[in-house]
Parts: sequence; structure tokens; C-alpha cells
Amino acid sequence: MAGIRDKMNQKSSTMGSVQSRSIFCFFFLILILHLSAILLFTRGFLLTRTELPYYSNCSDVSQFPCLPLHINKSSSSSKTPNRTNQEEVVPHNVNRNPGCWTRPAVDRLVIIVLDALRFDFVAPSTFFEEKKPWMDKLRVLQKLASEEGLSARIFKAIADPPTTSLQRLKGLTTGGLPTFIDVGNSFGAPAIVEDNLIYQLAQNGKRVVMMGDDTWFQLFPQHFNKSYPYPSFNVKDLDTVDDGCIKHLFPSLYEDDWDVLVAHFLGVDHAGHIFGVNSIPMIEKLEQYNAMLEKVVEVLQSQSQPGGLHENTLLLVMGDHGQTLNGDHGGGGAEEIETAIFAMSLKEPPSSFSAGYESSSCHLDLDGKTMCISTIQQLDFAATVSALIGVPFPFGSIGRVSPYLYSLVGGTWDLESSHRSTGQDQSDMEEWMKNYANVLCINSWQIKRYVDLYSASSVIGFSNEDLLRVRDMYAKASENWMHVGSRNASLPDLEKQIHLYSSFMASIAELARSKWTEFNLTLMGVGFAVMMVSLFVHFFSIWRLEKLSGVYFGSHDNSGISVGFICACSMIFIRACSLLSNSYILEEGKVACFLAATLGVINLRYSLMKRKMLQEAVVFVLLIFIIRLSIELGLSKEAGGSIVMDLFPSWMTRDNDMASLVVHMVELLPILALLVLAMLLYKAIIRSACHWILKCLTSSTMTCYLLIALYWGQESKLFSIPYFLKGKNSYIIPRIVYAVGFAQVLSLFTIFKLLGEKKTQKWEEKVVALLSALSSTIIILSGKQGTLVALVSIVGGWCIMRCQSLLSDSRLSTSPIVQWNLLAVCLFFCTGHWCAFDGLRYGAAFTGFDEFILTRQAILLTIETFGFSHILPIFGLPFLIVNKKLSSPDKQRKGSFFIQLSQAYLINGLITATTVTITILCVSIHRRHLMVWGLFAPKFVFEVAGLVLTDVLTCFALFYYRSSS
Amino acid sequence: MKLRRQLTSNYSASPWKVLITHLICGLGLSSAFWITHNLYNINLISEPTQTLQMIWVIGSPLVIIVYSNFRMNPEHNSYWKALAQGILGLIAGAVVNALGAIALGAPVGTKYIMRTLHWSLMMSTFTFTPAACVFGSSWSDWLRIFAHTKSSGSVDYMLCLPAHGAIIGAWFGAWPMPLDWERTWQEWPICVTYGAMAGYFVGMLASFIVTTIVGGEQHVKGE
Repeated sequence: MAGIRDKMNQKSSTMGSVQSRSIFCFFFLILILHLSAILLFTRGFLLTRTELPYYSNCSDVSQFPCLPLHINKSSSSSKTPNRTNQEEVVPHNVNRNPGCWTRPAVDRLVIIVLDALRFDFVAPSTFFEEKKPWMDKLRVLQKLASEEGLSARIFKAIADPPTTSLQRLKGLTTGGLPTFIDVGNSFGAPAIVEDNLIYQLAQNGKRVVMMGDDTWFQLFPQHFNKSYPYPSFNVKDLDTVDDGCIKHLFPSLYEDDWDVLVAHFLGVDHAGHIFGVNSIPMIEKLEQYNAMLEKVVEVLQSQSQPGGLHENTLLLVMGDHGQTLNGDHGGGGAEEIETAIFAMSLKEPPSSFSAGYESSSCHLDLDGKTMCISTIQQLDFAATVSALIGVPFPFGSIGRVSPYLYSLVGGTWDLESSHRSTGQDQSDMEEWMKNYANVLCINSWQIKRYVDLYSASSVIGFSNEDLLRVRDMYAKASENWMHVGSRNASLPDLEKQIHLYSSFMASIAELARSKWTEFNLTLMGVGFAVMMVSLFVHFFSIWRLEKLSGVYFGSHDNSGISVGFICACSMIFIRACSLLSNSYILEEGKVACFLAATLGVINLRYSLMKRKMLQEAVVFVLLIFIIRLSIELGLSKEAGGSIVMDLFPSWMTRDNDMASLVVHMVELLPILALLVLAMLLYKAIIRSACHWILKCLTSSTMTCYLLIALYWGQESKLFSIPYFLKGKNSYIIPRIVYAVGFAQVLSLFTIFKLLGEKKTQKWEEKVVALLSALSSTIIILSGKQGTLVALVSIVGGWCIMRCQSLLSDSRLSTSPIVQWNLLAVCLFFCTGHWCAFDGLRYGAAFTGFDEFILTRQAILLTIETFGFSHILPIFGLPFLIVNKKLSSPDKQRKGSFFIQLSQAYLINGLITATTVTITILCVSIHRRHLMVWGLFAPKFVFEVAGLVLTDVLTCFALFYYRSSS
Repeated sequence: MKLRRQLTSNYSASPWKVLITHLICGLGLSSAFWITHNLYNINLISEPTQTLQMIWVIGSPLVIIVYSNFRMNPEHNSYWKALAQGILGLIAGAVVNALGAIALGAPVGTKYIMRTLHWSLMMSTFTFTPAACVFGSSWSDWLRIFAHTKSSGSVDYMLCLPAHGAIIGAWFGAWPMPLDWERTWQEWPICVTYGAMAGYFVGMLASFIVTTIVGGEQHVKGE
């Protein structure tokens, strides 16, 4: 017996270093495999639309199959300069540009963009089932729209997902469908190189003034004559952008040095992000906008007399996208894509044309007048505005000139000069229809040109039969045009012609929407295959380690698979498979809680059977219950803040002591929890007999906790703080916390390298030291809920650790790791996240900072997002190997600890990798699904980011714990 | 071993007794459905609260009356005591079931309180009430049935299998709830109830089959 022991010792000591190196190799191999699989798959899946480097030109007129526009003026049509020297364009004296593709219907254009404008902010509340507090706040628009004799109307505008500001601005100006990959660029906002409306405006001598959201400036860095950009990424700032806009807007309205004015207000978007739609700041913002718009209309109307500055001006008030009641946007939900456009032409219409090709919904408004609202696509915006102002349509635009907007402004047309003689409505109508048909003819020609060039120049364009179908439609339409356009056509003929063109363009738009993303199936397949290989490597490594650990613990007789193991595996399997359905992805937090609770109940059953750890098992189930409640409550972001917001007015008015007490309790609770955390840490330090450096490092976390408590106390004005910490200086506290945390982690990683040579450290102390070092940063980023979640995760981890002893095996068992993993997933959702880009808590990235720097804010956002769900659980995983009785010599102990740890990390990684594999499968299956960009793709991105983070952190953790026992 | 045999023989049941017991319970359940459907013109989907109430109001007395016949040590325990134990078990079981359901994700809120209450009473009728009638407060027997899942006689099977069937069925029944089909039956606790009842029936069938097979063997062995 002793001989065998001896032999084993020898074996293990020689194996020691070789082993750990080979284990590291496994982890690196897995990391590399994962990275390459993800890279390959993403290259195939998240491909962008090919942007064509072509531009529309005035000289294209010669190729039109349509009616010549204005024969007498065409000679004077401006020769467009070469686009290479675009800086020299913008001549300042061309005020009455005759237009080249279409005759300009308006001279000047005022575009006021209200970010995240919900449709029900604008439309009268009679259009909806019940009146909500935020409705009917923009009364001025409703009044104007229902007033007789004014050509002002409200439209419902449908945006295409992704409904983030950058994508929408790009879509609005290019008339195309920006794809998902641009979402990732939203932080960096790169300039648009494709042909677009602003480029065309600048190219054709229109002077553009921009004010507000600096995204415009980033998209079009050199197209504006004047610009007043304001930073847009500080979500907490409701007023800077709007005040800046207003400051420059009104003086500009009296100027004559611009043709197009763009003012982008951000307040509503930010108010939604921070407070939600049903909140006082939101209503205040809307009221502010109402006053602002009232004044704008007043100024415009005062100068709209013939010869005035705004004689022929069009005012557009529009949203770029909507938002949900929580203030989120990005996806394709009805609330997010429905926004509004208000259009008002300052010129009195001689007669109104009703272009009622599509049904519009009509209701009585608040004053009892009938108001009709029709729906237009945002896709059509670029083409319509180009046609109205008389510049070439952007090359890549696939939108159609909207009949509603076009007819609304039709009144400002030079009708009287051309056809005054007829004077009848009928002939006016006919003339207008002919004009519109001609515009559609140009429009169709332009779209056809784009589609042809696009299919010719991109590898996987539209499918052949689809192309044939639309070409056939186009041929039919243009053939009809040959007959209709040449002679004086009758109304039905024109109607038929318009219908033919419209259906051609509609089918193009449909085609583009369904097929825009070019998936590279080969790359996707290869990526998936590599992912499968990585799973095999995972299994193989687990099997190898199992054999290695057999050296230490002797052979295992009970290789039989236990019930707990089967349950744990099936939970993982169920969770992974649930990701195949969009409904389960939406409810993922609840699903994870359901499965975790199931495991908890099974644990409870075990503990009843073994008659021990009953308390822990019950606490665990209760804990899941608490997490579940907080997921349901916490779906409204910044839960604590909104509760206080709701209570605040009642407290102010009634001066109720109880209410103020509740407010104070809500404020005080996180601080108390923080003190509890500090106390726990203190106890842990006191009890352990570790090196004094370690003690110092750990106790500095307690200082951080106190600082955080001070910071929050000052934020909620619970107690007064020293003068020098107020205002701008309050940012010092978070920065100190970050710095201390960073220094702690850094020194932990280096110190053990120095100390580790002499004697190996107790791993418990190392885990506690690292976790505490990380926790302060994560807590301050997570906000006030962070402390409570930290307490919950400590209790949860403790329960799992204790319950583990129920499984008598001396080996590492899978079930606790699965519970650990599920708990981490629950915590992700519990901290108010969900797998969508609007689920990121951008506000958290600005804790302690005001200005936006990409790398810094991205790092903070990553820490905040994955803090409780990835960073802490992975570094805390060694707790799961605590209660193993290792009655073996020291050296062997050390080796066995490392092997068990690697095994635990492998199993944890395998669980994550399985989920990612199924997610990859899922997005491949659902790549043509309606919600692929709204739901599946964000889920994929989150899962992949989580996997990479898991792999990298695992490597760090192994490196950190490698010399412990 | 001999002692145990003697003890269990007192409360063992022949396959036919098992069949009749299950038939009575099953018929009670179906009659509850029949009554709600035909007399009150409601069903589980339109009025879940009332239907669930009807199910447990009809089901639980039947269950208590029938299972009290199988009480342990009939010499010491009177029939009335078993009945009282059944009623206590019904209430205690309802509390356990409700807590379990809420931990697993049943919605909480004023709208759902009554539904959860009646649902848990019904689940208690399926799961803990029969065991309460038979075992009373014998903790070791409870553990044997519900924690160890070790059955040692036909009555054990009769208690254990339908109860586990109902719980597992309810667990599976919760699966369609998050789907976006927007049907009324996806609401809490309708599909869970369907799952539980399906599981209960499967469990009853299984217990009958098992008692037929095992009982036959035991009979042969006993001879």
C-alpha cells in the first residue's frame, strides 16, 4: 500500500508542472477555437449591405424615359461639378435653384427632429383606446393639422428596425435599409459614404444648417454650411442639446443664408431612457416642445406673406423612431417603429388634392373636428424630400415619393402660371396626377437603376426569379407610360399608371426588406462546425482530467450516473433548447429562474432525504423567489429611482410623514446593505490568518464601500457632505473607487507571483481578496441595486456551496456548477439587463465621468453588464471545491486542487459553450425571421460576448489560482 | 423483515381495490368538470377560479373518504381521525404547493391570488391529501414516499405515483406559458392544471399497472 502511495507521489510530482502546462494548453485551445468559430460565423451572419460607390447626378436627366420637366429651363440646369472637389461646391448665390430631376415644390425646408417621438405623443388621444398622461401634449400640431385652409397634416411614420438613432438617420437620408452591423458602430458614428440626401443638397447648391444631436455632424462631417452640434451620449443630461437647439433655432429662422435647416432635439429620448414615458420629466419635455413649436410656427407664419422669407417653406416635425413605455428602442416592436411626421406648408394651397390611394384612419379630434392620419414609410422620406426640393434622388434610395406629402405640398406648386386657364378642379387634379406620375416615373427609373447595378456588383444579390419579376413589372409600367405620357391622358389612365409604378416600387421595397442581409452560408456553416469541434475538445479535456483526478482519488467505482446529474444536464439542455424560440428568449430571465428553482426544489428533496442542510436548501429556493420578483419588478429600469419619482409628488403635496419615511427607507436600504457587506468582509479578514499584505488589500475594499455609501448619500441628499465633494467634485469618489479596485486587482495578480515562490497561499483568502477587489467597482457601476444583488449573490453562492455536501461523492459534481451558472444567468436579468442593446444601461457608463470616450465608457459598460453574471461567478467558482476532504499529502493536495479547479472551469465553460452553440444554430435557423434583427441577433451578440469573456476570465482565474492549495 | 411484512400487510390493497379507488377519484374529477360545464356553463378557460374551486370541492371529500380506508394501523387510528388528518393535510399541502408554485414563477398579484389559492387546493387534493389520510403525522413514511421515492407496497404506489405524476405534469404544463400564441389557456394556472391532471391520470394508470404486476408477484411469493 505504501509503495503504491509512494509511486503515486512520485508520479504526481513529476507530472505537476507538465500537467498544469497541458491544462493551460487545453484552455487556450478552447479559447482560440471559440474565437475562430465566432469570427467565422459572424463574418457570415452579420454581413452588411454592400454600399455602392455611385452617386446620382443632375446629368442623369438625359437618360430618363420620362417627360422632360421644364423645357424652357433645362438649359440653365446647373452643371454639377465633379464630386471629387465637393468642398468647393456650395455656391452661396444660388437661391432659386431650378432643380434638375424634379421641379422644386418648396424653396426652404425646416426639419425638426424630435428623437424617440412616439406616435401617441403627436396624434390626438381620440385615436387611442384610453387617454394617457403623456398624450395631447403637443397640442399645437393637432390644432394646425385640423385647422381648415391650412396645408398641415399629421402622418404616422413607420420606421424600419433597427430603431436606433444612427440607423434611422442613415435610413432617412439614404433612403435605404441600414443593416444590423451598423448598430455596433452606433458609438463611433462613422461618416456616411453612400449617396444621401444631405450630400445631394450640398451638391446642388442647397445650404444646410444643422443644430442639436452631434450624430448628424459625425454622419455628415463636411456637408453642412453651419452646424451647432451638441454631445448626445450623456443620457442623464436632458437639457443641453435642447437648449442649444433652441438657442440657435430662432435666430436662424430670421436668416436667409440657408435652404434646409435641421434641428435635432434629444430631450424626449433621454427622458425616456432615464425616467420612462409615464414620468414628470417626459411631460415637462413635451410641454417645452409644444411651446417651442408654437413659437416656430408663429415665426414662420409671420414671414410667409408673398415675398417674405418663408413664402414657400415646408416645416417637417418628425421623430426618428418611437420608444416603449420604458423608454427603450432598437427593436422592431410596434411602439418602437411607430413614430410621427407633421408636415406643414406655409403657402396657402389653391385647392387641396386628396391623394387617397391608401386608407387612412379618421377620428374626431379634441375639438370635434375630423382628422385623418395616413401612414407613410420612413423609407420614402429621402425620395420625397428630394423630389420636393428638386435635387436628384440619392442613388441607393429605394423609397417612393409619398403621394400624401407630395399632394400636401402640391399646392405650393407653380400651378397658376402653367395652367391658370383651365381653372377647374378636374383639370388641376389631372395636372397634378400627371406630374406625380412623372415623378414616379423618375423614381422608378432611379430604383431600377440601383437594383440593376446592385445585383451586378454584389456577389449574392437578389435572386434571379425575383429580379425577373420586378423587371417585368417595370417593363409593363414603362410600356404603359409610353401610351399615357405622350398624350393628354385621362384620370383613370393616370391612376392606372401611378398604380403600376407604385406596385413596382412596393415590390422592390418588400424584396429589399426580406433579402437585404446577405448571409454567407458557407462561412456560417464552417463557424458552426468549428464550434462543434470546440465542444468535442471540451468533452475530451473533461474526460482527460477525470482520468487524471483518478490518479489522486483512486478509481471511482460509482461511475453510475446519479439523478442529480441527469437533472442538472437536462436543465442545461432545456435552457439551451428554449433559446430556439423567440418567446423564450423574451422571457429568458423567468425561464432561468424556473429552472434554477427546479434545481433548488430537487436539492430540497435531497436535503430531506439526507436530513441535513435543510436550512440552506430552503434559503436557496427563497432566494430564487426573491430574484424572480426583482426580475419582474426590475424590468422598469432604475427601479429605485422611478419608485422615488412616483412617490415624490404625493409627498410634496400632502407633506405626508409616512411617504417621506418610505422615500428615506428606499434611499437608506442600499447604504445599509453596503455596511452589511463591509461587516462581512471585516469578519472574513479577522478570521483568516493570511499575509498582512493581503489583509491590507482586502481592507481597502472596505474603505471603498464607505466611499460608495458617502457618494450615494450625497446623491440622494440624505446627509450633508463636505463642501469640496459637491457638484463636479463628486465625480472624485467613483474615480477613486475605480482606481483602488484596479490597483488591488493588479497587485493581487503580481504579489502572489512574488510570495508564491516561498509558500503557497490558501485559496480561500485569494478568492475573497480578488472578489472583494472586484466588487467595489461593480457595485458602484450597478447603482443602488448593486449592493442588494451582491448580498443575494453571496447568500446564493453560500447555499450552493453548502448544499454541495449533500452529494457524497468526493469528486467534483456537475450539479452545483449548473446551479452556479443558472444563478449567474438569473443575476444578469435581476440587475435590470436583458439581451438587447436597449437593455444595456448606458447611464451606468457615466458614473464618475461626464464626457464620452469610447474605450473608457465601453470598458465600464462591459463591467456593469457582465459584472454579476460573469466576472464575479467565474472568479468565485473555487468555492465549489471547498468541502472536499482531501486526506492526501501537501504536494498532492496542491495538484489535485488545480485539477479539480480546471475541471470545474471546464464544466462551466462547457455549459456556456453549449448555450452559445444552440444560439448559433438558432440564429441560423431564424435568419429570415421577422425578429432576427430585433431579437435573435442581439441575443447572439450577448451570448458570444459572454462566451469570450468567460474564456478569457477563466484563463486569468486559472493563472491566478494556479499556485494555491 | 417479518415485522415489516405484517405491518404493511395491514394497509396493502389488492389491484382491484386500487382500480376502484382510482376510478372513484377519476370519476370525481370528471363529474366536477361535467357539473361546471353543464350546470354552470363555465369551463377552466373561461372561469378558471370557479372551475378549480369546483374541482377541489368535489374532489377532496371523495379523496379523503376513500383514502381514509387505507389508513395505517386501523386498530389504533379511527376512521374519523384519518378524515381529520386528511382535512389538515389538504390545507397544509395547499400551502406547500402554493409556495412551490410561487417559487417556480407563478404570478403574484391581486388578480391571481384566488386562482393560486384554488389551484393549490386542487394540487393538494392530488398530492398530499391522500398521503395525509394514510400516514397522518408519520414523518418517516412521508420521507419514504416523497424524498426517497421508495415504495414498499401497493398503497405506497397508489399514493406515490399519482402525486409525482401530478407534480411533474404541472411542471411540464408550465412550459407553454411564455409562448406568444396569446391564447387564454396559456394564462396561469390553466395549462398548469391541464398538465397536472394529465400527469395525475398517467400516475393513476401507472400505479394500477405496477400494483397488478408487483401485487401478483408478492401474492405468489406469499404463497
